[in-house]
Amino acid sequence: MSAVLQTQAPTLELATGYRLSVRRFARNRLAVAGLVVVVLFLLFCFVGPLLYSTDQTHTHLTQVNLAPSGAHWLGTDAVGHDELGRLMFGGKTSLLVGLAAGLLATVIGTLWGAVAGYAGGWVDAVMMRVVDAGIAIPALFILLVVSAITTPDSLGLILILGLVSWLVPSRLVRAETLTLKSRDYVLTLRAIGGTHGRAIFRHILPNSVSTIVVAATFQVADAILLVAYVSYLGLGVQPPSTDWGGMLSAGLTAAYSGRWWLIVPPGLAIILVVCAFNAVGDGLRDAFDVRGRG
Amino acid sequence: MSANILEIENLGVTFSTESGDVPAVRGVSLHVRPGETLALVGESGSGKSTVALAAMGLLPGNARASGRASVDGTDVIGAAEAELTGLRGRTVSMVFQEPATALDPLTRIGAQIAEVVRNHRPVSARDAASSAVELLDRVGIPDPERRASAYPFQLSGGQRQRVVIAMAIANAPGLLIADEPTTALDVTVQAEILDLLRALAADSGTGVLLVTHNMGVVADFADRVAVMLEGEVVETGPVEEVLLRPSHEYTKRLLGAVPRLAVAGAGGGAEPRLAAAAGGTVPQPADAKSRRGVPETTAVAGAPAEAPVVELHDVSVRFGRGPRAVRALQDVSLTLRAGETLGLVGESGSGKSTAARVALGLVQPASGSVSLFGTGLGRARGRKRRALLAGVGVVLQDPVASLDARMSVAECVAEPLRVHRRGMPAAERRARVAEVLERVRLPRELANRGPRELSGGQRQRVSLARALVLDPRLLVADEPTSALDVSVQQTVLDVIAELQAELGFACLFVSHDLAVVQQFAQRVVVMRAGRVEEEGATAATLTHPETDYTRRLIAAVPVPDPVLQRLRRTERQAALAAAGTEGRA
Amino acid sequence: METFLYLTRRVLQALVVILIVTVVVFCLLHALPGGPARGILGPQATAQQIAAFNHDQGLDRSLPVQYVYYLRTLLQGDLGTSYTLNEAVSQLIEQRLPKTLVLTVLSALVGLLLAIPLGMWQAVRRNKPVDYVVTTLSFVAYATPVYFLGLVLVLVFTQWLRWFPSQAPQGETLADVFAQPGALILPVVAGAASMVAVFSRYMRAATLENLQEDYVRTARAGGSRPRAILWQHVFRNSLTPVVAMLGYYVPVLFGGALVVEQLFNYPGMGLLFWSAAQSSDYPVLLGCVLVISVATVVGTLLADVVQRIIDPRVKAGRT
Repeated sequence: MSAVLQTQAPTLELATGYRLSVRRFARNRLAVAGLVVVVLFLLFCFVGPLLYSTDQTHTHLTQVNLAPSGAHWLGTDAVGHDELGRLMFGGKTSLLVGLAAGLLATVIGTLWGAVAGYAGGWVDAVMMRVVDAGIAIPALFILLVVSAITTPDSLGLILILGLVSWLVPSRLVRAETLTLKSRDYVLTLRAIGGTHGRAIFRHILPNSVSTIVVAATFQVADAILLVAYVSYLGLGVQPPSTDWGGMLSAGLTAAYSGRWWLIVPPGLAIILVVCAFNAVGDGLRDAFDVRGRG
Repeated sequence: MSANILEIENLGVTFSTESGDVPAVRGVSLHVRPGETLALVGESGSGKSTVALAAMGLLPGNARASGRASVDGTDVIGAAEAELTGLRGRTVSMVFQEPATALDPLTRIGAQIAEVVRNHRPVSARDAASSAVELLDRVGIPDPERRASAYPFQLSGGQRQRVVIAMAIANAPGLLIADEPTTALDVTVQAEILDLLRALAADSGTGVLLVTHNMGVVADFADRVAVMLEGEVVETGPVEEVLLRPSHEYTKRLLGAVPRLAVAGAGGGAEPRLAAAAGGTVPQPADAKSRRGVPETTAVAGAPAEAPVVELHDVSVRFGRGPRAVRALQDVSLTLRAGETLGLVGESGSGKSTAARVALGLVQPASGSVSLFGTGLGRARGRKRRALLAGVGVVLQDPVASLDARMSVAECVAEPLRVHRRGMPAAERRARVAEVLERVRLPRELANRGPRELSGGQRQRVSLARALVLDPRLLVADEPTSALDVSVQQTVLDVIAELQAELGFACLFVSHDLAVVQQFAQRVVVMRAGRVEEEGATAATLTHPETDYTRRLIAAVPVPDPVLQRLRRTERQAALAAAGTEGRA
Repeated sequence: METFLYLTRRVLQALVVILIVTVVVFCLLHALPGGPARGILGPQATAQQIAAFNHDQGLDRSLPVQYVYYLRTLLQGDLGTSYTLNEAVSQLIEQRLPKTLVLTVLSALVGLLLAIPLGMWQAVRRNKPVDYVVTTLSFVAYATPVYFLGLVLVLVFTQWLRWFPSQAPQGETLADVFAQPGALILPVVAGAASMVAVFSRYMRAATLENLQEDYVRTARAGGSRPRAILWQHVFRNSLTPVVAMLGYYVPVLFGGALVVEQLFNYPGMGLLFWSAAQSSDYPVLLGCVLVISVATVVGTLLADVVQRIIDPRVKAGRT
């Protein structure tokens, strides 16, 4: 079945290259919906506060734990912050930290994987054992140890999350590099005396872009989720600042007393955004036709 | 009862792809009678495999078929899956191109054959297992009881193809469809598989639809031929008629482009028997050099005192370590002199590509020495090594993988300039690129296209342009045309030969195709299992080989002349029958 | 012989990985406020005690020497003593680890038993409503933080429906744990949810890929029925890569157990770890990290060995 297509399709399929990828992505309804959700949330968190201005720094002890109403669409929390405004305010942190940590992890992972895969031999073996060791230590456990030692700010949080989650992208990029370095065009370059730098930066990395982009998208989804866990573990940003995970864990006890508006909005926000990034990643992977997370 | 086991009338197949509908087959009509072999030939994209799949009802989900195809009187087009399931494996069976992937890797081969038996016969598992063993025996698998419990990966490519054939004949079908059954195999294995298929078909009066691009295979096997071009059958007739007296323009062109192995006369005479019967469309090369037009002076100008361009001395290469290490090369020595073309031939696993890679410095020899232009490659480092490699051009096999799809044609061709002439002004570089593109007969407009917009033959010519942009003294070509259709192959080979005559570079030409090497190289090195089997002037070595192995290799190559091929086959089989004794042709 | 060589190589690799893990834990030990002396003597230690301890333990020596000392104590099975529970860390872990293993193994089994048929079903019904629904559900399951999911489960099944207790079994021994199967259901479900999501995706992708393979066409050409092809050929071939992924999922399972145990008050290693983090009980924290990592490495090794058993090609060293 595939053989038939292979004898006939390549010229047609390859001729259109990237435009075809875009078209494939656009046809994937789930992926397009994901993209729309991501954009809406970015608008909500970064443009929303300009239209719906609330005070998120001071406590308002006169209006704590109010149920949703015309004045406070999503009610107020235990110290009187407007919940809808807080959702925007916390979302800024969640999205920023998630995006930055996800990208940082991808960059570290890409460099590590490309070097390991290209070098091969014992360099590769040692570098990949380090990755195995990193994977063997569950991220949540490390994060909890770190939280027992110190309380980082947003920048520190990005660094920590980036440092615990670069392992998966490094494996993907290594695999891709192993394939690409034995491609005929790389062999040809080496046979005529081209440098390793040229092979890596002109051929291998540019051709891994689709793999890297897909990995980055999944990485951002995971990082946003991890930020939510981090707050739950008590390592999150400190009050009066907050993020969705912090709002959620702060509202956990309130949920038992029926104040659903304190947990449902941040919970749904996390789920929606993480789903959206995963759907986009899924769509990109199918559109670029690269292998990666299932 | 219908006279024809397969009858196709006005078949049309259209694929709906992401870039729109693609008609693959249009208005094809053909038939196969019981016991007869019809060869369906054509180049890639001609739709021949699609016709075969349509006859099996195995078209992919995005295909729409129209017209009529009936197997033993049962309509296949539009039939329900349940009805097709009853037909497949019993009335009609299929042998596929790629034996490496055709079998389930996790199921023992005996069980896979038994499955086909039980699909159509109400026998116990035990009986099915013993029929599987019988079938393995029939297709020539030695020690079938033990082999039945082997997994596919434990068998060689040829043996796997035998297993697929065993599955196909399990229920004695009236029609066997073979889709490029020997394309992925070495020539000697190909000859064995064709012999097997022929014997099985003759035994049981099975009709065969043979899909192939190889005119030699057609000459060897077919009774009748249908030639396909762009989804349509352009010529049909008996095999002697079509191959020796083609009437359609395309068939003539196709046959003219097939490189023919000039062989010693079937009667044992020294004179190469020219395949002149092919209507004079092919000027048969009696002497490779005269056809290629390499001026005799080049060889003379490269004075004997001059160091050889490539010299491998007692080179051994091992892949892997420990007990599983593979000895890819053992004590291989070869020399390529200035301006000369050396053909490196052998079957898969013979080490011919590895030898070329050693010469390019891509593979480090475990022992032995390599020199380029008289300088040891192993000792050269840094600038010296780069200077040495600047004199080398490379063309590799795969037209898709040899160009970086992210670069334009011009960038691909300019890459060696960027590596070795860093200071070159952009305008000069552009001019140089345009000049080489013209040399390889590519229109200048292609410079800004991406490799993906080019055909396979154009891409290989871009690779050639890249290889020649630095005016190398050595061109290493590793199977440069084996992924191309014959008509395209001819153009690429002609371009290489012309430029060599003009520029005088030496060429290390690696190929599995003896006919191409015979046409192209002055000297030839035959390799086998990592060693040099024999070497010498092409004209002598390939017509009067000194070793049994080379003799067998040459005897296995099917020539696209049914009359001559029949003779060659009889001789080869006689030689085989007299196994052990000397089997001289 | 082949198998022996493979196992030796694989075990050696695992040992190297464990060695690297000890380096990481050693670094964490030195990142503790006050250094390892404070970490081991506890928050009440005086400066003199710390100095004396540092000298005794060679902590005034160079870092590589210290690392060797550290490894030596580890090899003696000494993980230090808990500040708060006044018990050897190794003993605490010995009591708690089996319970965590019960929880994670049950979650993994439930997760796989659901995920594998779901993934195959999706692949067979590709781009049909079933596929979209299950895909969406698995996206949601993956994106839901375990603690949020646990909370929802508790609210629905214990507060509202009152089907299950909100606490996991509390007994000391494993027998006690299995004596209350009902109380295990919610923790296992919470632990299995993201596994179902991830592995149904893997299985779907692997099945789709295998349905395109040439051997499926060969089987069809031999007259095998689609259902038979699916179960006799595609299923096994798709399962192999999924089992290989299992090894990489072990750390995620332990991470999930950490949250689930805290949520349902299940007295396993996760809960031990959690309370140690609240009281800055460093010896327990680092001991747990070490043991969990070793458990992960062993789990990965087991997954590899299982894959080797079901795939004859891996056995012959060809992949």
